[in-house]
Amino acid sequence: MNRPGRHVGGWDHLVGFALAASYLGLLLATAPAIAMSRDESFYVVAAERMAPWFELLADSPERAIERSAVDRHFSFNHEHPSLAKSLFALSWLAQRRHDLFPEVSTAHRFPAMVLASLLLWLIYVFGARAFGRPAGAFAAVSFALLPRVFYQAHLNAFDLPITFMTTLVVYCYWRSLASRRWALLAGLAFGLALETKHNSWLLPPIFAIHFAWMAAAEVAHRRRGGAKRMSLFPYGLLSMGTLGPLLFVGLWPWLWYDTLPRLEEYANFHLHHVYYNMAYFGLNYFRPPFPVSFPFVMTLFTVPLTVLVLALLGLSQRLPAIAPGPLAARLFPRATEVADRYRTDVLMVGCLLAPIVVIAMPSTPIFGGTKHWMPAYPFLCLFAGLGYWKVVRWARELLRDKLPVARHSVRALTACILLTPSMLETVHSHPFGLSHYTYAAGFTPGAADYGMNRQFWGFTTGSLVPFLREHLPEGGTVWLCDTTPMAFDMLARDGLLPANIRPARAMHLADYVLVHHEHHFAEVDFQAWVAFHDVQPAYVLTHDGVPIITVYANPASRRVRR
Amino acid sequence: VIFFAVMGLALAEIFAHVITRARAPEKAAWARAAAYVRARYEPGDAIVAAPSWADPLVREALGDVIDLAQAGRSDLAGFDRLWALSIRGRLPEGAPEREPDDDRLFDGVRVMRWDLGPSSVRYDFVDHVREAEVALGEGSGAAPCRWARAGARGGGLGAGAFWPEERFACGFGRGFLWVGETVTEDLDLKPRRCIHQQPEGSVPLRVTFRDVPSTQRLVLYAGLYYEDERSLERGPFTLRVRRDGVEVGRMEHRDGEGWKRLELAFPPSPSHARAASFTFETTSPAPDRRSVCWAATMRVAPREVGE
Repeated sequence: MNRPGRHVGGWDHLVGFALAASYLGLLLATAPAIAMSRDESFYVVAAERMAPWFELLADSPERAIERSAVDRHFSFNHEHPSLAKSLFALSWLAQRRHDLFPEVSTAHRFPAMVLASLLLWLIYVFGARAFGRPAGAFAAVSFALLPRVFYQAHLNAFDLPITFMTTLVVYCYWRSLASRRWALLAGLAFGLALETKHNSWLLPPIFAIHFAWMAAAEVAHRRRGGAKRMSLFPYGLLSMGTLGPLLFVGLWPWLWYDTLPRLEEYANFHLHHVYYNMAYFGLNYFRPPFPVSFPFVMTLFTVPLTVLVLALLGLSQRLPAIAPGPLAARLFPRATEVADRYRTDVLMVGCLLAPIVVIAMPSTPIFGGTKHWMPAYPFLCLFAGLGYWKVVRWARELLRDKLPVARHSVRALTACILLTPSMLETVHSHPFGLSHYTYAAGFTPGAADYGMNRQFWGFTTGSLVPFLREHLPEGGTVWLCDTTPMAFDMLARDGLLPANIRPARAMHLADYVLVHHEHHFAEVDFQAWVAFHDVQPAYVLTHDGVPIITVYANPASRRVRR
Repeated sequence: VIFFAVMGLALAEIFAHVITRARAPEKAAWARAAAYVRARYEPGDAIVAAPSWADPLVREALGDVIDLAQAGRSDLAGFDRLWALSIRGRLPEGAPEREPDDDRLFDGVRVMRWDLGPSSVRYDFVDHVREAEVALGEGSGAAPCRWARAGARGGGLGAGAFWPEERFACGFGRGFLWVGETVTEDLDLKPRRCIHQQPEGSVPLRVTFRDVPSTQRLVLYAGLYYEDERSLERGPFTLRVRRDGVEVGRMEHRDGEGWKRLELAFPPSPSHARAASFTFETTSPAPDRRSVCWAATMRVAPREVGE
């Protein structure tokens, strides 16, 4: 049976490896400028509690699997599975023993950075197979240069790991349509995805719809007298349904005891998640119904517009292959694009739309900004890669015989022009990734005019390190607003901030008070005014002239250097 | 056509990125604009930012002449002139619909000034809260609340208005019953300098001001802390106004009404010509999270703008 897509060989994997290695190097080099975010700080605690369990597992496996040991090391943050945190824990253990990284935070972040980098390799290979090498390469680079992806790729969080895992599962499932070996891998990959984050729950419905779509086309083909082109037995889905849950439970020690109640607790946590605040067009949303347009507008406002337009171009090009056969014949009678037997386009459109549509549901919390539908972005970029290739072909037609340029020069020049906006914006967004908005929003100041969320997680405190070092030369206390004490502590562990600059116990006793600008944090601004009888900030941290953090100095403090 | 559109879009995106970065005013521009305003600043001036998200930058540059009354104003009635430091071509909220009386540009920061005319405000109750008498209950059974250095308290998301160091405290076991000046976050997330006066229940918590100059109007604003009101699920509160013990107006406030305005007019009469005592009473059938805060002023006839 023919495998889906084009042939990919060793050179392609070399290209994929080069992309991944370059990105990893870039992430490592730029990580220290991004202070720990709120969620990361919880995962640091979780990882450092889990780390001794791995030592125990190595020394005394029978004691490690006892309930008391499992509960002691895995109860913290058990609302999320343990795979990513286990990797963070192992990386931290390696750091403790071998001092591999210049900062402790980088040790925690390294595994997620590796997965984010491997994702580029995967996108390239997937794209090369599905749409051709140029499209794959463009897709991988355009994904790497999405400003919000670039920010998230640094973090010891789950969002890039799950984006990698879901893309991997999709790839394995796609290959499983022609190979039972890949069906086995799809099951294993799905187990790892389940063990990474609950976004993976979306995959089976997408695959079920795709498989039914593909099977219907195959049955119609056979009814028309065509030869059998594929098996209609869903080996991949079967493998996912069996191996996935086994691996999920097997790799998450927390589920080894009281399995069903703990599974139920885990599912309920996410199915009935609390709502947090999120600003959107000047309104602070804190409970449903949430705006249906949120993920669509936020994608428009945070993904470079050129990439979005290329994705639409790629999608429109493949529409005849996406629409059901009779409809496609009616709508696109002269179309040259035809669907492949595996309905690859349908699968990719499903993977692109499903994460966004889920967030668009009025009852789904929207607190995570764009990160919750990041698993859609590899597919967005794959279609952008296809759009890029269309533009290259147009360029060649236009330039034929007019300019003495080689085929490869047209490709490279076109890619350079189309990726420059992404590159400029990503470079400029660092380290304010969550504050940055793109062209369609009028960039960061335009988004502030619209009243969009300016940040979350309190990670921008890292950009205040030079200020705090200069103005608290003998140490002092800082009221942290949205930054967790653990995240702040990491600045000291990383050697960026002296240990004698500590979190304050109370706002009015602090030497400095921070206010992270988000709509719902406005009250903290006003509290500081009353606490210090003063409305004048000592400093305002900005990105493109838009306030990110306001710092107030305690007029009664003797430690503050004014 | 699509080819040129896509390539043109990429170039436009690059160009717009460069332009946007270049157009964001530097702190030095804000400082130059601030120096111009500071040199001409007079008591009775209000300084605002346009757009409102630039407010921290304006306060960073000019916060030494911006007090809580300016930053937490309910309207512009208390001010004679309005200064605006503006970027991105924005006009400030509440600005008169006419050309400014002064208009200058400092490297991207536009300074505008409107002369609003003499303020109509003659007495601000928030300014005088320390001199007020506060009691819980009525008649001989009323329990006085004492002005005390009770210790600052609060701060943080969901904490509500900050409890000032000095305030009226209404007794042990009733920590939430305090009266004092603070700045609350209203339903629109705006700062409101006000007198915190959370009701105890159906027994009125009363704040009385003596020797208040008589004018034609009393303008009262009241509301609740944002998180206490935004869910729109709690009961109303009542804020009664008594003049020399006689009820002259009341505000029934329900969730969703935000920073609500009530204007009481006092027709000329011999009894209204002299100074009077004004009492503000808060009650609520369900006082939990009824974090009432109010601001009131005695005003003469309204002027055209800023009311």
